[in-house]
Amino acid sequence: MLEKIARPEEIRRWDGDMPVRHRYTPGVAGDAFFTALKDRGVLLGSRCEHCSYTYVPARLFCERCFAELAADTEVGPGGELVSFTIVFVGIEGEPLESPRTIGAVRLDGADAVVIHRVLEPGEEPLEIGERVEVVVRPDTQRTGSVLDIEGFRVGG
Amino acid sequence: MARRVAVVGAGMTKFVRRAQETGKELAWEASREALASCELPLDRIDAVCLTSAPDAFDGVHMKGEYLSDGAGAFGRPYMRTYVGGGSGVFTAIQAYYTVASGMADVVLAVAEEKMSSTQPHPQGAFLTIFDNILERPLGPNLLWIFALEMNRYMTVHGIDKRDIAAVAVKNKRNAADHPAALLGQADITIEDVLASETLAWPVQRLDVSPISDGAVAIVVASEEAAKQITSDPVWIQGVGWNLDTAYWTNRDLVFPEYVANAARMAYGMAGVTEPRKQIHVAEPYDPFDYKELHHLEGLLLFDKGKAPEAARDGVLDRKGDLPSCPSGGLLGVGNPIAAAGLMKLAELFWQLRGEAGARQVPGTPERGVAQAWGDLMQVGTVVVMGREGGPPTTATQLETPPAATPPAATPPAATPPAATPATSLSDAEFRSATGAVEDEIGAKYAWDAGVAIGRFLDGLREGKILGRECRVCHRVLVPPRMFCERDFRGTDAWVQVENTGVVQTFSICNVRWDMQPLDEPELPAVISIDGSNGGFLHTLGEVKPDEVTIGMKVEAVWKPVGERTGSILDIAYFRPRTDG
Repeated sequence: MLEKIARPEEIRRWDGDMPVRHRYTPGVAGDAFFTALKDRGVLLGSRCEHCSYTYVPARLFCERCFAELAADTEVGPGGELVSFTIVFVGIEGEPLESPRTIGAVRLDGADAVVIHRVLEPGEEPLEIGERVEVVVRPDTQRTGSVLDIEGFRVGG
Repeated sequence: MARRVAVVGAGMTKFVRRAQETGKELAWEASREALASCELPLDRIDAVCLTSAPDAFDGVHMKGEYLSDGAGAFGRPYMRTYVGGGSGVFTAIQAYYTVASGMADVVLAVAEEKMSSTQPHPQGAFLTIFDNILERPLGPNLLWIFALEMNRYMTVHGIDKRDIAAVAVKNKRNAADHPAALLGQADITIEDVLASETLAWPVQRLDVSPISDGAVAIVVASEEAAKQITSDPVWIQGVGWNLDTAYWTNRDLVFPEYVANAARMAYGMAGVTEPRKQIHVAEPYDPFDYKELHHLEGLLLFDKGKAPEAARDGVLDRKGDLPSCPSGGLLGVGNPIAAAGLMKLAELFWQLRGEAGARQVPGTPERGVAQAWGDLMQVGTVVVMGREGGPPTTATQLETPPAATPPAATPPAATPPAATPATSLSDAEFRSATGAVEDEIGAKYAWDAGVAIGRFLDGLREGKILGRECRVCHRVLVPPRMFCERDFRGTDAWVQVENTGVVQTFSICNVRWDMQPLDEPELPAVISIDGSNGGFLHTLGEVKPDEVTIGMKVEAVWKPVGERTGSILDIAYFRPRTDG
């Protein structure tokens, strides 16, 4: 009964989609995080003293002990490169004009790791463990978005 | 043998439109409240059960994993279950069997829904519950299913719409006493409901529960743990769940047999032999007002077709003989889908402990039933809760050892638990929130017809309606399938059935799926096809809306041969039979 389909375009089929978009609002802690990023160009985390753990971005609660947390702990701008990848293809599998480097960074003062672009890594190969620094766009360009962060610059 | 299981704590957020809180934050608010209500720290929780309805509402794939931190699941056994609208009650059943089996002593059960994320309207996500090949080409919207079921229920039993509207009035008035309610309204009248906009006749706007955001959590414990945690546990005496056929147009739309089956399972476990005497308070599922009545009958609390009279006569009021939805239900408190179902268990918990404050039903109720409904409109989920007892025990069951520590001396709260705030954003705040983004999944789908429906569509192109015969149950199945879901064997032969049929039910629909008005009303109908034991959804034509009746004989109007493509739309519509 089951045969391999060699020419999908010849199958009788119905094309469709789910006609919805989604509007994601950042929530209570997210509002504090993005407002601080936009207005002051700083990254806010949340510290749980009970669990000795600092989350970033800021969170309303500690997932380990359920304590309510404040969005009041500035982290970075310096940090440590925990891991990285170099991406050569886009989401459809198409080659990118120039490869993109994505880094996972533990910012100074934080336990959680954040993901963002690594800016112009240069000739020297990246090394896990090396120092990086967050680059925030000038205040006139900031809108309250994760893209208010330009990326991580090696060094610093 | 199963262990006895109790609910020992409950909490919920306010049900709101456009919550400022993320789904995780809502889940945490409700979970924290539930833990605080029984003075438990998170580290006393052994396992977490979570539910949330379609991923498409929050717009987050793998929503169970996304919500896990807010549900207290970090580092714990955790599973999201999902049975559509039945999910909220089902997650309590999941918590029940996790504890009853001995796998955990204390479980947190959490239900969350954030429907405001879906743009332009959550109904867009519901469209894909319709069959993509046989139904979506007809341009359905979710209201069709409810309108079609409601019309048939009303017509078969001769029910007055006023008696159904009485349910919406009761629940919105009850909700006026609920601190978490979105749509409480103490002064609403039947006339208000009957004067509200007709969306898809007989469904009017005030017959429908509101889209909402919110979360609910309960703490479920073994007998031994429960007695340590509280002096006032509420026992889960019985649970039941059951599914009807996935082919909704092949179903009895008048009586929810699947709810009755689930109720029989739960009552049997609870030792309830006369539910009308032994159930003192009910929280049936009420996304639409007629559904509460439909479900009260499915719960065997009223004879078929008799629940509307009970609504009319005040039997279902808080002070009536069988208080139904004293919380205010989905119609009054709100309908964040999965959360709304679990809210019903939370309400029974408060009612049975005498902690429901202004909502308290009189007379110290000893036993209640909560129920929800969903999936492809085919699942019933039922939980019986009571002050005493639990499932019947057997002689082989070991005596439960005495509690190691005396019960905590927490007297019943003098005032009803206040709802944890959830902050409702105005539409302007929602549109302009700092950090908000709008996006779409951007996935498109191509559905192929499969074996049975492929042949059915070939038949339509030739002007024939085809069914499949099962020679064990002697049914001719339309829409056809290659296997019989009752006998679970291959069906035997193709049968050409008639091009005529009977209108089982119909609606006069005035709105599109995104609730925008239509220029001309549409006439969706479920048509049982002559010569078969089934039927399908289509639309009616060549007839005025006010001339359509249930039981009307109709015939297929085919597109011209050259215009047929092998689609459900090869039948242009059905019209009243012209051969008399």
